[in-house]
Amino acid sequence: MAVLKFTLSENGVNVLRDALMCLGKFSEEVSLEAERDKLVLTALNTSKSAYACVTFAANRFFSKYHYAGVAQYRDKFFCKLYNRVLLSLFRSRSGDPLHEREKDTTIDRCDVIITDEPGKKSRFVAQIVFRNGITTKYRLPFEVSPQVHAKFNKTEVTSNWAISSRTLRQLLDHFGPGIDYLDIHGEEETVNFTCFTEKAANNDEVLKKPLQTSIAVARDEFDEFNVEEENLHIVISVKDFRAIVFHASILGLDVFANYSLPAKPMQLRYDGDGIKCKFLLMSVGERGTPSQRTKKTRTNAKMPPGPQLEETVSRTGSHAPTPAPAPAPITPQSRINPIPSLRPPIERPSQRPPPATLESESLFVAQDNDEQWEPVNVDEDEEEEEDARLGWDTSGNPNPSAMNMRTVMGNQPSAPQPARDHEFDPDLSQLEPTQRLSQVRKFGLFGD
Amino acid sequence: MASTIGSVPPQLPLFRAVASSTKQIYQLLKCISFSAKVDVQLTHDGIRFAADHSRVMQGVAFLDHSLFTTYTLNWPETAKTTPRFQMNLSAFLEALKIFGATDAAAKAAKTDADPYRSNLRNYRPDAFSHQTLGMPGTCCLVYEQDGSSLSVILEESDIRTQCNIVTYTPEFPDDIPFDRENLDFKIIMQARWLLDSLSELAPLSPVRITVSALPNAPYLKLASGGAAGSASVDFSNGRDLLETFSVREPWVQRFKFDLIKSASEAMRIATKVSFRGDGQGVLSLQFMVETEGSPVSFLDFRFVPYITQEDEESESETDGDN
Repeated sequence: MAVLKFTLSENGVNVLRDALMCLGKFSEEVSLEAERDKLVLTALNTSKSAYACVTFAANRFFSKYHYAGVAQYRDKFFCKLYNRVLLSLFRSRSGDPLHEREKDTTIDRCDVIITDEPGKKSRFVAQIVFRNGITTKYRLPFEVSPQVHAKFNKTEVTSNWAISSRTLRQLLDHFGPGIDYLDIHGEEETVNFTCFTEKAANNDEVLKKPLQTSIAVARDEFDEFNVEEENLHIVISVKDFRAIVFHASILGLDVFANYSLPAKPMQLRYDGDGIKCKFLLMSVGERGTPSQRTKKTRTNAKMPPGPQLEETVSRTGSHAPTPAPAPAPITPQSRINPIPSLRPPIERPSQRPPPATLESESLFVAQDNDEQWEPVNVDEDEEEEEDARLGWDTSGNPNPSAMNMRTVMGNQPSAPQPARDHEFDPDLSQLEPTQRLSQVRKFGLFGD
Repeated sequence: MASTIGSVPPQLPLFRAVASSTKQIYQLLKCISFSAKVDVQLTHDGIRFAADHSRVMQGVAFLDHSLFTTYTLNWPETAKTTPRFQMNLSAFLEALKIFGATDAAAKAAKTDADPYRSNLRNYRPDAFSHQTLGMPGTCCLVYEQDGSSLSVILEESDIRTQCNIVTYTPEFPDDIPFDRENLDFKIIMQARWLLDSLSELAPLSPVRITVSALPNAPYLKLASGGAAGSASVDFSNGRDLLETFSVREPWVQRFKFDLIKSASEAMRIATKVSFRGDGQGVLSLQFMVETEGSPVSFLDFRFVPYITQEDEESESETDGDN
């Protein structure tokens, strides 16, 4: 007896494929959760900063749907599948060019059966029957693991807007290449969508630097627009936003956004016939908040923020509604017990599991000891060295980006900067840094 | 044609063939370009190109003499052997590609000189191209004598290109033995279905493909398995897809997927495929290529199966997982 059985029409396969394509932009794996009345597909990206959830209504979306609650999965069944394989399985096939009628309609129906019981191989079996009579059967292994759901606190919502996906899609066309972030902020008559990057350009590549594009959209374009705080800047990842808008525009639905403050999650959702899509994106906190965790999570792959960042910092910082927390005393303990502060800025590009931050506390239900992601072999010496670096990096050097570049290019130890931050003076006198930790890291000497 | 007569040396070459278009020759030979060297055999009926991959896969393209406007082989009709040599196939294909290039170049030059044309008329057929004017030029293959190089002489308008391709002593590899008298099954179907089936299996990047021909449903089944899962394609609901279907006894053999896939160019251009397996397990795929205005050509592929091990076979039968 199969745990789950459902049948899709060709149109259903197309909608499923679009959803999988969207989920695939977030994670390589897709989690499937089946209940009696719905099928939920979710994806959570590796840095746990973006969460996507697509819900299909059992009675509306499928031609047939049967969930049999077996012993251990009375109410729901869950598993994880590799998205790339699913995509190739549900990909669009080119029809028979010889028969005009069958040109684009090649799939007759698609039956999916999930079997998971003792004595049989646990498989996700998809059988696709083509109109020409060929039958394809795929058996995919899966991993039984519970879904991680991101929760969104609706009571905190202070700002919300709704806009047609078509309008958003047109905005995307103006975004240049090589950008990472999207800043949304409302002014009196317009709403500004600014896209930018914080990647520092090399000396000779300055001219190739991606454009910072700002698009002003009249408020009339929005179905509704309620932002409590004037000049509230909310910054999210362009990549995620693009994936969502692209999917919404395929379905042709209106996109609703709910959010509160920077560094709090932003919810985007759109509901269609038999399909509901919800996304939670972590918005970037106030950039430039002096927090030692910022520096720590910055990896060798990333240069310290360039001057462009500093400008935006002052802008956002000044209008920020929440007071920036005072710089916490930098001690090794503070790393292990993170002070509930704002989410570290510009952490997104990190591909590794992130260190424990407030982000995971606020966004996600399932969180097991986050400390395990902490760097393992960070010994005292290294910490001191890093702290020392942080000390003069923020205060002594007005232009860390250029400074860093020069040292990298010349491959010479940076000249010791006079540390103005008296808090670190003892450290500096004991152990003077000769080389930036970020330079050493790329040789894989220190696990971070 | 008149222009080429002057270039014929007084002594007649061993072999000389003239074609007015290289398109079909190129198309056919491209299908067997899975190996670098190709064995060429000149016969009175046409030229036979045989490519071979580690003695487990063989592809044969036969260029019928009717593909050429002139075809002369100065070799006794009654002789037991015919001239045979080996050459680099990719070099030969490159040489054939030159044909028609001058027309394209001339067009590009005109486009540069005339901006008006470049904007509006670029895609239109040029009324003064050699193709339209009926002077398409000629492609001449000359093999002077046994052991000499094969000359490909391309003449278009005023340009004459001669490529001499070095020939090697033939290796005389035996053809993969395929017993026509002892066929276990024979299926004729559209080549497109075979291509579609392979593209269904390909995404899981399998190593092996299991081909089963059975007297009852699912009739013909292609299955493969890999780390990401397993897939199978069968024709149980599409019995009418198989034009000719005769299975003497169930036939299940496994082949290397990449080898079968290297015949996919042939599946693309062919209209029909004859799918046969003999008692020893050798698979033969014979493709019929139809092009308007020229006679039907055939491409022949043969594959040697993996040794069947009893336990492995039963495993792949039940689930297709490896």
